[in-house]
Amino acid sequence: CRSNVYEQTRKQVALLNATAQDLFSLYLKCQGEPFSSETDKLCSPNGFFFPDFHENRTSEKEVMVAMYKLFAFLNASLGNITRDQEELNPTAKELLDRLHNTTKTTQGLISNLTCLLCKNYNIFQVDVRYGPNSKGKRAFKKKQQGCQVLRKYVQVISHAARIL
Amino acid sequence: MFSGWNFMAHGLYLFLNFCSIEVSGALVQSCGHIIPESPVLALGSNFTALCILNESCLDFGNIYANQIIWKIKNRMVPKEQYREINRTVSSVTFNDTSSLATPLTCNILADGQMEQNIYGITVTLGLPPEKPKNLSCIVYQVSKLIYPMTCTWDPGRHTFLDTQFRLKYRWPREDFPDCIPKDANSSCTITDVQFFVNLEVWVEAANALGKAESDRLIFDPIEIVKPLSPHNLSINSGILPSVLKLSWENRISAAAMKLKFNIRYRIIGETDWMQIPPEDTASPRTSFSVQSLRPYTEYVFSIRCMKEDGVGYWSDWSEDKTGMTTEDKPSKGPPLWRIIDASHSPVFWTVHLIWKALQPPETNGIILQYEVTVRARPPLSRLPEKYSVNSTCLTLKLPNGTYEVTVVAHNRAGMSPSSVLLIPARNSEAPVKNIKTLAKDGKLWVVWTAPNSSVLRYIVEWCLVSNSSDCVTEWQSEPENVQGTHLKGDIKPFKCYLITVYPLYADGQGSGQSVKAYLQQDRPSKGPTVQTKKVGKAEAVLMWNHLPVDEQNGFIRSYTIFYKTVDGNETAVSVDPSKTEYTLSSLASDTLYTVRMMAYTDEGGRSGPDFTFTTQKFGEGEIEAIVVPVCLAFLLIVLLGVLVCFNKRDLIKKHIWPNVPDPSKSNIAQWSPQVPAKHNFSSKEQMYPEGSFTDVSVVKIEADDKKSFSEQDLKPFDLLKKEKGTSEGHSSGIGGSSCMSSPRQSVSDSDEGEATQNTSSTVQYSTVVLNGYRDQTPAVQVFSRSESTQPLLDSEERVEDPAGGHGGSMPRLQYFRQNCGQDETTTDRLRFERAKQVVSPASEEDLVGFAQLQISGQNSQLLALGLEINPEEAALAEVLQASTEGLCTVRPETVEENPAAVNEMPKSYLPQTVRQGGYMPQ
Repeated sequence: CRSNVYEQTRKQVALLNATAQDLFSLYLKCQGEPFSSETDKLCSPNGFFFPDFHENRTSEKEVMVAMYKLFAFLNASLGNITRDQEELNPTAKELLDRLHNTTKTTQGLISNLTCLLCKNYNIFQVDVRYGPNSKGKRAFKKKQQGCQVLRKYVQVISHAARIL
Repeated sequence: MFSGWNFMAHGLYLFLNFCSIEVSGALVQSCGHIIPESPVLALGSNFTALCILNESCLDFGNIYANQIIWKIKNRMVPKEQYREINRTVSSVTFNDTSSLATPLTCNILADGQMEQNIYGITVTLGLPPEKPKNLSCIVYQVSKLIYPMTCTWDPGRHTFLDTQFRLKYRWPREDFPDCIPKDANSSCTITDVQFFVNLEVWVEAANALGKAESDRLIFDPIEIVKPLSPHNLSINSGILPSVLKLSWENRISAAAMKLKFNIRYRIIGETDWMQIPPEDTASPRTSFSVQSLRPYTEYVFSIRCMKEDGVGYWSDWSEDKTGMTTEDKPSKGPPLWRIIDASHSPVFWTVHLIWKALQPPETNGIILQYEVTVRARPPLSRLPEKYSVNSTCLTLKLPNGTYEVTVVAHNRAGMSPSSVLLIPARNSEAPVKNIKTLAKDGKLWVVWTAPNSSVLRYIVEWCLVSNSSDCVTEWQSEPENVQGTHLKGDIKPFKCYLITVYPLYADGQGSGQSVKAYLQQDRPSKGPTVQTKKVGKAEAVLMWNHLPVDEQNGFIRSYTIFYKTVDGNETAVSVDPSKTEYTLSSLASDTLYTVRMMAYTDEGGRSGPDFTFTTQKFGEGEIEAIVVPVCLAFLLIVLLGVLVCFNKRDLIKKHIWPNVPDPSKSNIAQWSPQVPAKHNFSSKEQMYPEGSFTDVSVVKIEADDKKSFSEQDLKPFDLLKKEKGTSEGHSSGIGGSSCMSSPRQSVSDSDEGEATQNTSSTVQYSTVVLNGYRDQTPAVQVFSRSESTQPLLDSEERVEDPAGGHGGSMPRLQYFRQNCGQDETTTDRLRFERAKQVVSPASEEDLVGFAQLQISGQNSQLLALGLEINPEEAALAEVLQASTEGLCTVRPETVEENPAAVNEMPKSYLPQTVRQGGYMPQ
């Protein structure tokens, strides 16, 4: 790991934070009704797993671990969403590009976090929990699941950006 | 015999062996093979190949390893490189594979020296890959979210082998698939990269001879981004006329990359860009206000960006976008000048005020009109006059004087500062000095030395000098600190320009200094047309006209006249360009010359048309010099002939129609002196009417001895002697044919002298002989008379009278007119004395006039002699002067003035003695 990894990580989080809202809005727009009008109702995170990320964490190590769990979860979920949208909205190029870009950014972020955990905290293994696989589900469910993840993602990433 | 059979059997075996290979393929084994099979060898390395014979061939063909021959293509490898390892294996070694070629064959030399191929291999020569160098990568932004990365490298030397290049990249904890170049081996593009993750990149090159890797690069792709340029650039006019606000959109997220910018701009139509100071745009932004722009000017803007910290690459410039500033007041007044036409009236000027239309950037908008104010300065007292003009000139008729003219320009934003021109009554200030011109960089420059006084500005006037058009004046204004400028107009080459520089002062202006100049000179368009003005025998005056200025194409520095004869060499004469005539001299007479003329500028000359002329055969005056003398000589001869004929007319007349005396009219009895009454004087008067007598009698009084004259001296007077009557002693007697019978002449003859006078043919004559004939002294005066009008016979006329030829040599001859009737009352002696008296008071000039009047046609020599006055005679005349008081003068004019006296006397002069009472007989 190079010395600039932490700074890179911070910038990655900031970048995700800067683009998260647009991604979510575009996603809703591309899903059509009722997601555009019933966002709160349909995309409520209640009953939906999302990694915890609290601002009151004290140590940087815990923050890094929590972030690793978060972005590992997000990376997997974004992968699923991207796959589902390629199926459901193959012509929504901008949405797909944003999903791809966000996914790859989280992938890079994971790489940096891995590097930081290994180098700075000698953490070589972190238990990660992923969300449910949407493969084989109905389209509405796929859309709803994606909406739930992205909405939560918008909220969490802003917290992460403030912490770093 | 054995070897022969053995050879045949061996050959048959090999033939069957090869045939079996050809026919049955793999079913039949060959007699050997080479190892290694088709090797790939590095150039310059050593190489050893083995040819291994099959055991089966040994039994049938007696083939052994010592019979193997190695060949490269068709060239046999030297046997020094062979080595027989055993009876079935032979090796060949190459220390440098550079000498190798394909194929390398193993051959056998069978009995009978027949060479047969056993096996062959293909050898591939090449080089291992070099380490790729100069690896570099750049991330091109192609859209807002897509950032492909292209890496390039130097693949190194040519390997002559199939070499694979792979661009490898990886994150610290993650590898990615290699990027394999498609059409090139020196670059590869990774379709998408992620920012803020260190990426390790390197290049691997591999071929049959080895593998090589470049140095590894580790970088964050965000550091090598070439972003897309900002787009949607818009330009808005600001509040101020010198400000424009630019706005744009960035195409990369500020979260990903903070940008800085470059903004460039230029006035539309110009090519040079100006740039906003980089430090003013070094921070992220999406707008910028450009200041200090020209009002009412259209600008072109463009913008680019890069990572704020300067790491990475500048984007391309954005598309040009135009914007226009708003109007402002004109920044300066229009340059002002005047042309004064004072030719029409001595009291008034026609002043043409002219000013330059303001040009951007001074206009700062659209000029709507100009306002002109004319103020007269003392002693003139006129109210200022204002004019609103839409054009750039104003013509005014003003009384002579000094005026101050002010011009301001108006646009929608306001009016310009005023331009002031002082028009003095006369240009009395100091002019510029040393005005010169030069052409440089395609422009015509005029330079001058400033006058000592302080100058406000200069006016440079110029116009094209042409024969075909008027001199249209153009002008320009120059500030006071310059002493040279180029003419800002359409200055054409080969055209003559008249340039004038005026200095303008606060209180007047200096007189203009002019110079003519060319931007570029050329040869004249044509040469002068020369012709002759005058052609002489040895010279010719040539004349020509100056070339029109339109055809000069430069300053005419000289003329050269070329002239030649038909077969002669051409002669050149250089002529001053101010001349329009030249005289060619030393020409050959009566010769055809061809002449032409060249006019030269600094760039060369051009010849005019040829002109031919022929010199004259005779020079000026030569003909006259010949003709005039000839004519004069002819005329003289004619005159002499006429004179001779005239003088000889009597003689000629005698020959043609001689006078024959009429005997019937002769009256010899009456002629006797004793009967003088027979003479009817009245009849004489009838015979000789008044005025018909014009002759004079010559009285010769000479006592010299005529013997002193020689016969030769007397000869010239023979003719005279023939015409005159001589002494009475020689009268011809009866018949009247005496020597005095000549009807037209009266001659007084004596030994001492004679005088002759011509008379008309009708004049009677008388002779007074004072001396005796031939030295005889007569006792009395003898008068001889004849009334006959017939000429005497020649024989009768020729009287041998030596005294008659002495007239020319006589010292004095005295004349008097016989029509002075008073004289006739005196004796002949007295008449003689009176003649002396008449002559003496007269001057010589009078005498000349008198003589000329009286004896016109007489020999001039004779006249001259008559002018000399004998002193003795003069003294005698003095004595007689008193007694002759009251007598008529002998001056011809006196005769004319006394007609009464003339009228009293019969107009007959001869015989004078008739009125005296007749003749005295001898």
